[in-house]
Amino acid sequence: MAMLDIQGVSKSFGGLRAISDLSFSVEKGEIVSVIGPNGAGKTTLFNLITGVYRPDRGGIDFEGRTLVGNSPDKIVQRGIARTFQNLRLFTNLTVLDNILIPQHHKLHSNWLAAVLRTPGYLRKEREVHETALEKLSFFGPRLMSYRLHQPVINLSYANRRRTEMARAMATGAKLLLLDEPSAGMNPKETTEITRIIRRMRDEGGYTVLLVEHKMNVVGEISDRVVVLDYGEKIAEGTYRDVVDDPKVIEAYLGRKATRKGSSADAPTTGDEGRTGA
Amino acid sequence: MVQQRSVRNLLLTLAALAVVALVLYFVQEQGGSKMRQVFTLFAIWGTAAVSLNLINGTTGILSLGHHGFMLLGGYTTALLILPELNRLQIAASARSQLNDFTLGLSIENWARGLGLEALAAPEALWTRILIAMFIGGLVAAAFGLLVGIPSLRLRGDYLAIVTFGFGEIIRLLASTDLFAAFTNGSLGFTGVPSLMGKSLWWTFGILGLTVFVMSRLKFSSYGRALQGIREDEVAAQAMGVNLAYHKVLAFTLSAFFAGVAGGLYVSWLSSARLDSFLFFLTFFFLVAISVGGTGSVTGTLLGTALVVFVLQYGDPLERSYPLTTWTLALGALLLAAAGGAYVYRRINRLRPRLHPAVFVLAGMGLVTVLVAFAGPAVGWLEGNFRAFGLRRIFLAVLLLVIMVFRPNGVLGRSEFTWAWLLRERRDQPTDEERAQDAWLHNPALNKEGKEGIDAPEPAAHPLLERGEPGDDDDAGEEPPPVDEGRRT
Repeated sequence: MAMLDIQGVSKSFGGLRAISDLSFSVEKGEIVSVIGPNGAGKTTLFNLITGVYRPDRGGIDFEGRTLVGNSPDKIVQRGIARTFQNLRLFTNLTVLDNILIPQHHKLHSNWLAAVLRTPGYLRKEREVHETALEKLSFFGPRLMSYRLHQPVINLSYANRRRTEMARAMATGAKLLLLDEPSAGMNPKETTEITRIIRRMRDEGGYTVLLVEHKMNVVGEISDRVVVLDYGEKIAEGTYRDVVDDPKVIEAYLGRKATRKGSSADAPTTGDEGRTGA
Repeated sequence: MVQQRSVRNLLLTLAALAVVALVLYFVQEQGGSKMRQVFTLFAIWGTAAVSLNLINGTTGILSLGHHGFMLLGGYTTALLILPELNRLQIAASARSQLNDFTLGLSIENWARGLGLEALAAPEALWTRILIAMFIGGLVAAAFGLLVGIPSLRLRGDYLAIVTFGFGEIIRLLASTDLFAAFTNGSLGFTGVPSLMGKSLWWTFGILGLTVFVMSRLKFSSYGRALQGIREDEVAAQAMGVNLAYHKVLAFTLSAFFAGVAGGLYVSWLSSARLDSFLFFLTFFFLVAISVGGTGSVTGTLLGTALVVFVLQYGDPLERSYPLTTWTLALGALLLAAAGGAYVYRRINRLRPRLHPAVFVLAGMGLVTVLVAFAGPAVGWLEGNFRAFGLRRIFLAVLLLVIMVFRPNGVLGRSEFTWAWLLRERRDQPTDEERAQDAWLHNPALNKEGKEGIDAPEPAAHPLLERGEPGDDDDAGEEPPPVDEGRRT
């Protein structure tokens, strides 16, 4: 049984069909990428899965039970966490606090126990601190020691992205939805993030659903790729299959102004490939 | 190390508490009645302001209905502890709006009814007041729950208007015939026992309890969740924080302590009247929070001290003085402003140091002083002037100045802590860490590169984006282009 199963989901905003009749599934332990030109509906898809929007039609099942109708915080507790395309960290709080807040829902004490610092509360507090350090250590020493106590607003952009990924991991989710994890990063940082995503799967045991524009990242780590265009799935399969699909190339680069059928060999230079990024 | 520090902090806290107790003892024994009054008012308003800070500062919801919660707690307390004699007087009076049922609402009566003679005894008055204040807190908390519900759907200004409306509705409803049976309408209650509200130990004890609960809450998992809501509601929810529960929790807890503060306030005033719970109360708490530092418990206390001091010792500002004195004071103020502007520009290394505004201010000041001295000779500035409300104007100007120069308040979001006082900074690297960092960032020492990351495999397909091998990673990072998230 698939971990995440999306069946015939549609979502419109007024007259705009952001997602129409989309179906695909994610198996446990997979890294699946969702790609597509700008406005293809990738972020809308994430918002549908995480409960920000409710699908007009269709169903989204996670581990055999439906997600539709659950609030975003409930969905996190079910085991799906996300990062945001345009970082949404708690900027005035410290790095450590940012990684502790997503663990708040695991706390089983009420507010009074927290005020009184009961042994049960303190034990949990130690536990979540350890988890926080464990998740941050995925990114090497750069977010550890004194950086833990720095407000996020003082961090560099790349470190903020890393903090956001650590924050998603700290929720205790099994499925991570990463919305453009390498956006705004330089090539070296991008390579590192790619490796970390793979380690998240291999060492952390996470399943990853990824939206990404950088094709080298997608190509390197995806087990499967789903291509969206105007809210519809136009291709699905391994990276190799998908990038050679004429429909995909057409969606990214447009059709050649020549005769029909010659579009398959359209992309010839590397520069054209950048259109999607 | 950590253990040692927490023991040290505990000892320092105990020492500080001992100092506070000593000061209170001194005020109790040596200070006049005015000083005792000011100290107790500080403790009562401090309780209310610190509780408001949970909503406004920690959770980041602007709530303007705190006076309503205080009114509920205050009237509940007053009704429950009003002595039998005052009840008889009210019952005998023709203008009484109480009925037999509400006249019987008294902890003393209940205690008699239950056969608890010890509780009904005159010596047990303080226990009855405590119980009444607790019930008052619960009543306020119930209404806090009610106000918390719109907070789930509304945000920012809209919610502020709703909370303001709610506070006013409570006050206006209390004066209508509908609820006059409980509040005695516009007459209110007089002769409320002031045993607790005028006692330094009780008021400061309750303030201490409130500060303890609020700061423990702030530095707990719950406090972090509330601060997460303040920083970014969408992100907090996406990280599993149940917005509805936490917002309502903040409102309810805050309203509870506001209700208790209301009970103390009624006891301090020894009367419960509707015009004691006007919006200006909430306004003063807001000033206290903003001046001291939004979200900071210690800052709020600092702000409250300032507000109470200005309001209580500010009456010389509102006396009648000759016009020449006023003019002289205005001139002195302008000259001080000019001096302040110069010093400010000097400290912040602004150029030109002698900005034209400095000259304009100084010139205006000099002219005003000149007029003050020379005016009477030519028949100007005769007579006296009395500036009603100057205290509040002074507070408003103070707020303005602080908002301009320290938008986050004196303490900002941080707390006054021992670690801060002793300059322990956990967000700066230790020497050892600095050495490690230097090693990591020095290519000559760290040949494998940081964490052994090797170069990416070259991309093969035309759609692949070919990246240039990057230079140093952390050093090359630039701050993000837009400083998003910075709040004022």
